[in-house]
Amino acid sequence: MTLNFLIAPDFAPERFAGWHMLNTTLQRRSGIGLHLLTPASAHEQADLLAAGKADLVYANPFDATDMIRTQGYIPFARPAKRYDEMVIASGGESGITCVEDLKPGCRIALTDNRDVKLIGLRLLEPADLTEATIQWVPVDSYQAAARLAIKGEVEAAFFLADAFASLTRLSRSQLKVLVESAISDISHVVLAHPRVAENLPAIEKALLGLGQTQGDGDVLDALGLPNGFEAMTQEEAEFMIDLMDTLLD
Amino acid sequence: MGLSDMARPAEPCSESRLTYTDGTSRTVYTTDVEKAFPEGRLIVSRTDLNGIITHANDAFVEMSGYSREELIGAPHHILRHPDMPKIAFKGLWDDMAARKKWHGYVKNLRKDGAYYWVYATAVPNIRNGEVVGYTSVRRKPSRTRINELIPVYAQWLADEKAAS
Repeated sequence: MTLNFLIAPDFAPERFAGWHMLNTTLQRRSGIGLHLLTPASAHEQADLLAAGKADLVYANPFDATDMIRTQGYIPFARPAKRYDEMVIASGGESGITCVEDLKPGCRIALTDNRDVKLIGLRLLEPADLTEATIQWVPVDSYQAAARLAIKGEVEAAFFLADAFASLTRLSRSQLKVLVESAISDISHVVLAHPRVAENLPAIEKALLGLGQTQGDGDVLDALGLPNGFEAMTQEEAEFMIDLMDTLLD
Repeated sequence: MGLSDMARPAEPCSESRLTYTDGTSRTVYTTDVEKAFPEGRLIVSRTDLNGIITHANDAFVEMSGYSREELIGAPHHILRHPDMPKIAFKGLWDDMAARKKWHGYVKNLRKDGAYYWVYATAVPNIRNGEVVGYTSVRRKPSRTRINELIPVYAQWLADEKAAS
């Protein structure tokens, strides 16, 4: 029996090998065959989920909400000490130094990541900005968002904090961070479909045990998750979902 | 058991006697010192069905001025500022009873008598179909909106005092 392990498409391209290393390690230690699914976009992920093809999911927190509460997925782990945060930055030459300097009608570059957009919108409330009063400039990558901000073609750009940290030193030096979220309660979640509940203990043991064996550090470094994974209870996931619910409007 | 009276701050302050919805009352002191909302953060707390605090995140502890030990087990109205009219919270309890989300701009009282404004959202925690408690998340508010609301709240408060 082989289970499908779907990875949310919001990881940085350089982590791709890390997910394959993790998949191989989990298979070996759990004795359960795993097939990695790496959709390239949120749309592709939605199609795979709708087709019922995901047995295990590394889900972003907002997708996890529906998967847990509507589809009955079981939360059992999350990255340890690794939260989903975002950064709003402007070009260093823009003269914009704080969120309140952004005015209605301003242009903001963003990628196709609704989590980043949602948290960013909450951080722009002190500037009296709403989704409708911003000119959104869609881009394909965080690098493209950085370029537009540096060239002054947008007043600001939204970044996943990890992606911002992964920009080149030169790019970061040409950007001014206006605000960085420090929510510390929202993270990705590892979920299992109820139909694979009997396989869950073996998978869970293998995932939570990562870091205890020599060589595990290479896998976790490749994933960008140096602290590995920690257990997550149903109630902890419900608490996170309640919190995110407050951010929807 | 109700909250004990606040300690009088060293700074110039005003004294008020607050009576809460559970019938208890205490003396509070308020100063004109505003504590800025921490950038990028959320203030998160949970209460049980009786409004007793069961969880406080670090930002909540820092902004309230109380220790976590003082907050856990205390009623959430420990934050109630005397400048807040009762009617501003009426929708909160109506919405909680209807299992709906509530939003509002709130002036909160710190342990040292200073204050901080928040945009608050409260949601009921529904587990297996039952409401088991409430989560409140406060974020940095629009200063424009607060400036609009200050005279509104002052008028509501004056109306409440005139009616009592």
